[in-house]
Amino acid sequence: MVEEDALDPWQAGPLETVGRPAERVDARARARGEVQYTADVQLPGMLHAAVLRSPHARARLVAINLDAARSLPGVRGVIGPGDLEPLTAEPNYHGQPVAAVAADSFREARDALAALAPQWERLEPLLDPEEAVRRGSLIGEARRYSRGDVSRGLAEADVVVEAEYRTQSVLHNALETHQSVCVWEDARLTVYTSTQFIWGVRDDVAEAFGLPKDDVRVVCRYVGGGFGAKNEAGDYTLIAAELARRTGLPVRCALTRREENLDSGNRNPTIQRLAVGSRADGRLIALRGEYVCALGWDGWLPSVAGPMKMLYACDSVETVEYGAKLNTSPMAAFRAPGFVEGVFGLECLLDELAVRLELDPLELRRRNYADSDPLDDRPFSGKNLAECYRRAEPHWARRDEVRSRSEEPWKRGVGLASQIWYGGGGPPSYAWVRVGSDGHAVVVTAMQDIGTGTRTAMAQIAAEELGLPLEHIRVELGDSARGPYAVESGGSSTVSSMGPAVRAAAADAARQILEIASQRYDLEERVLSLRNGQVMSADGGSWPLEEVTGLLEDAQILGRGARGPNPTGMRVLTFGIQVAEVAVDVETGEVKVERIAAVHDVGRIINPLNAGSQVEGGIIQGLGHTLSEQRLLDPRSGEVLTQTLDAYRVPTAADVPEIVVELLDVPDEHLTNLGSKGLGEPPIIPTAAAVVNAIRDATGADVRSLPVTREELLAALKEARARALAPQAG
Amino acid sequence: MRGLSLRRPASLDDFEGRALAGGTDLVTLIRDGLVEAGTVSDVRALLPRGLDGTRIGAGTTLADLERSDEVAEALREACRLAASPQLRNMGTIGGNLLQATRCWYWRLDYPCFLHGGDRCHAREGEHREHAIFGNELCASAHPSDPAAALLALGATIETDRRSFPLGELYRLPTEDDRNVTALESSELILHVEYERPEASTYLKAMDRARFSFPLVGVAAARYGGEVRLALSGVAPIPWALGSATELDEATPLPGTAYKLELARVLVRRALERVGA
Amino acid sequence: MLELTINGGRYALETDPARSLAEVLREDIGLTGTKVACGEGHCGACTVLLDGVPTLSCITLAGTVGEREVTTIEGLRDHPLVDAFVRADALQCGFCTPGQIVSASALLTRIPSPSVEEIRHSMSGNLCRCGAYPKIEEAIQNWRG
Repeated sequence: MVEEDALDPWQAGPLETVGRPAERVDARARARGEVQYTADVQLPGMLHAAVLRSPHARARLVAINLDAARSLPGVRGVIGPGDLEPLTAEPNYHGQPVAAVAADSFREARDALAALAPQWERLEPLLDPEEAVRRGSLIGEARRYSRGDVSRGLAEADVVVEAEYRTQSVLHNALETHQSVCVWEDARLTVYTSTQFIWGVRDDVAEAFGLPKDDVRVVCRYVGGGFGAKNEAGDYTLIAAELARRTGLPVRCALTRREENLDSGNRNPTIQRLAVGSRADGRLIALRGEYVCALGWDGWLPSVAGPMKMLYACDSVETVEYGAKLNTSPMAAFRAPGFVEGVFGLECLLDELAVRLELDPLELRRRNYADSDPLDDRPFSGKNLAECYRRAEPHWARRDEVRSRSEEPWKRGVGLASQIWYGGGGPPSYAWVRVGSDGHAVVVTAMQDIGTGTRTAMAQIAAEELGLPLEHIRVELGDSARGPYAVESGGSSTVSSMGPAVRAAAADAARQILEIASQRYDLEERVLSLRNGQVMSADGGSWPLEEVTGLLEDAQILGRGARGPNPTGMRVLTFGIQVAEVAVDVETGEVKVERIAAVHDVGRIINPLNAGSQVEGGIIQGLGHTLSEQRLLDPRSGEVLTQTLDAYRVPTAADVPEIVVELLDVPDEHLTNLGSKGLGEPPIIPTAAAVVNAIRDATGADVRSLPVTREELLAALKEARARALAPQAG
Repeated sequence: MRGLSLRRPASLDDFEGRALAGGTDLVTLIRDGLVEAGTVSDVRALLPRGLDGTRIGAGTTLADLERSDEVAEALREACRLAASPQLRNMGTIGGNLLQATRCWYWRLDYPCFLHGGDRCHAREGEHREHAIFGNELCASAHPSDPAAALLALGATIETDRRSFPLGELYRLPTEDDRNVTALESSELILHVEYERPEASTYLKAMDRARFSFPLVGVAAARYGGEVRLALSGVAPIPWALGSATELDEATPLPGTAYKLELARVLVRRALERVGA
Repeated sequence: MLELTINGGRYALETDPARSLAEVLREDIGLTGTKVACGEGHCGACTVLLDGVPTLSCITLAGTVGEREVTTIEGLRDHPLVDAFVRADALQCGFCTPGQIVSASALLTRIPSPSVEEIRHSMSGNLCRCGAYPKIEEAIQNWRG
């Protein structure tokens, strides 16, 4: 077993395979429709479950007729409140599961729900997050933070800007809905599920059913998108498992698209009351933020104040975050939870400050650059934000030209926003590398690939370490019975957590190969290396790898690797900046985002081709919540109104701007044997603020609420016009 | 769909139940229980399809119209900006004129006025996509782009039993009758004929660049010195305006006031476009 | 008896003609390349060709297909677009990809060298939550390889 700290870091820049563009190893199969997602799993005798969900935001179930459903043709199993933990007779949000039916077909299961004839006593829901805070209806304690003396700082500041920002509820809406197929073999359960965390599902299910963990096998080889919402087993998995247990047959429980919009998590809305005080030269003296997060009935409080605390050098910072507990569907992690919302508020606030100071917004960011972690002065394992700013300059320098292209009624402008996020991943994660007599290698893991290109990245890492061509590497993943523990594919942690383990495993295998080679060629191991599918010796000799591995015959080499610890005493973060160019029709409030330049530092890039796709994808998803996506509730009843993909509007191909991507690709020399940080989340973080700041640059309008709907922007434009006409305040 | 009987009649004379052509609205309405149907008859291949000057077969798809050079600009543009490519391939002009509102309360089967109940949930609730005209009893918005275009183009509907101006196809829902369309039972639209204008246009404000219902759509068609205007997305039915000043008669709700602003701008631009 | 021509092959099925074409393809014939992501015509994942025309199979009743030829992603697996998508990295999770390729293939049959506007207009009915749109556009532009 090789702990990955023992390996020397690779040099910077493109290597043989790592750092070079590579086609996704599974792209062809996916494109041809040949791979099996959970949605495609069909087992003999499989039943389909339909879930009865609360139609009310808060209610009590007065009566329900489970037997009436049981007697319908095709129905094989019915469960209700009391039969399974997630099923409740006292629902606290619209869509909360109450009962479930398994039948031969989904249609029969769905029709049987009507036979349950539930009767409800409607109760008054708590929907207003500010009211929830007043009443103390919170999830967890309020989170408070303070350094320095904010009151004094604001009092002493030359300029103070205060503003309230709001962000909306955003739904993940991955194209494959949440779903599981469960099948028992005696007391052992196999769960096919669309997930970001195979091992987490295993633990959740084992706990729920009182099983030894290894009696639960979780299989997930292909996922149709996650974005943070698929980190847990979910009610649907437990429902499928329980119905499978009772019926003795496999059961699929799949959310419909409408259920997906009701109860599969959301990026929680926020209300942010922010203030910044600075000197006339733009150096920040104080930052204050009060954040109310409308978490819903359950969930956890994301670090929405994180950017304010961590992004800039500022001696006095005071934040308080509240997690309001409401009768709405629980939040779930969504691509950089908290930081998307927090960067929106902070970067818009700073932009408003820049306007007041008549200071260039990029210069304002530079003047408040934090050379060490503002939280506790720790050094960064690697921070290249200054270089990101430098590379953004040519994009930023376009703004005069962009503005000059304004032509009634279109006004054009440019805006920017910084990005900060966690990115180091961490232990534990494990990998094995198996090499057979043909000299081909298999990377054996039980991780998942949610579409981010994990398979390919791991293959590249193993290929690099073993000196093999990419085509000779296969990657196994997606089955907890067939590989060792892997971290979840979330928090931008896969490459940074699994990657080093894979490299370590490959190095272990390589060492064993060289051990055989040293005996075979009677040379010391230390003069031998693997390259280009060959065993090479320092004096120029080389032999095909198969000559050595061929000696194995039926035996195999098994290399094992583990993810070591993160660098102690250091803060591991990613940084970046995006520059957005927009055109605004000032009469209709239409916004066209014409260009986004994204510069991100996420350490070593394994595959520039996939990395570019991640950045584009994150930006496009960011544009969605900036301009058109919002989950809407009926204000009085708290019921979800946007349940379909025509009401909940994600970007289409026609909404895409020119996107220019620059990744620094500077390995973090303190972080693992790879120096790679995660890229999944950084690109979605600054987009909204960059766009809103560009709107301000173009029109003077201060948009403080997302999404930037027509009504929002028209109101902001009107206000900006009134401000321009009004006499200057004293 | 459980129990739904699908017929394939040999001719239009013997179809039963609901007429199914593209099915892009009807299929989902039946599945969601918003429309009662035991039987549907697949008449897609039987309906007249194609253009003969300004006379359009009801079975002509929006994609056909989008791609035709002959079609008046307002209608062509309305089709081009409607829905998605697949829906345009499937959806017929006849069906499009008859499509139901996208009001979320109605679509989610709330017991609202339009469904026969006694209150309009949108008026009291979330109504950012709803009406600014004719909205006293029901604030739903009519989602059809081509309907507004054809209304401005002075279109006539020809069914299997009569002909009448397109405007008479629509009615505001009342206490006694909650229907927004005025077809008789099993009456089938066969043709739509419009008057060729000297110039016409269709402008649409929507929430994303494509594949979105109109927040406000404005069709303008000029005949000599006279311009006809019709709007989508602003009333329970396609809304004809005699002139731009009729916008002053709008009755916006608190959450739809912005639509009036949009309408003013788009009407002004549409008038400019057609050289009014 | 429901008779369908799918990817050049003839099928005869005992099934309710009021079921969706998507369901029949996926469950009766085992052609699971066509995905159902919304089931109501809003996302394009279920796109197939009927006589070469991109159509949403989730809201098409199987009994209305008639003599029209059905082409699914399985029937397009050797189309040059597949390689073009792979080269351009025009997919991430891949769930929308079959629908994208089906729609794109029809566009290219109609217009072998489409402009950017034509591509965006014709592909706007195929949602991609991963945001692979820029690379999908590139793949379509470079489909000949």
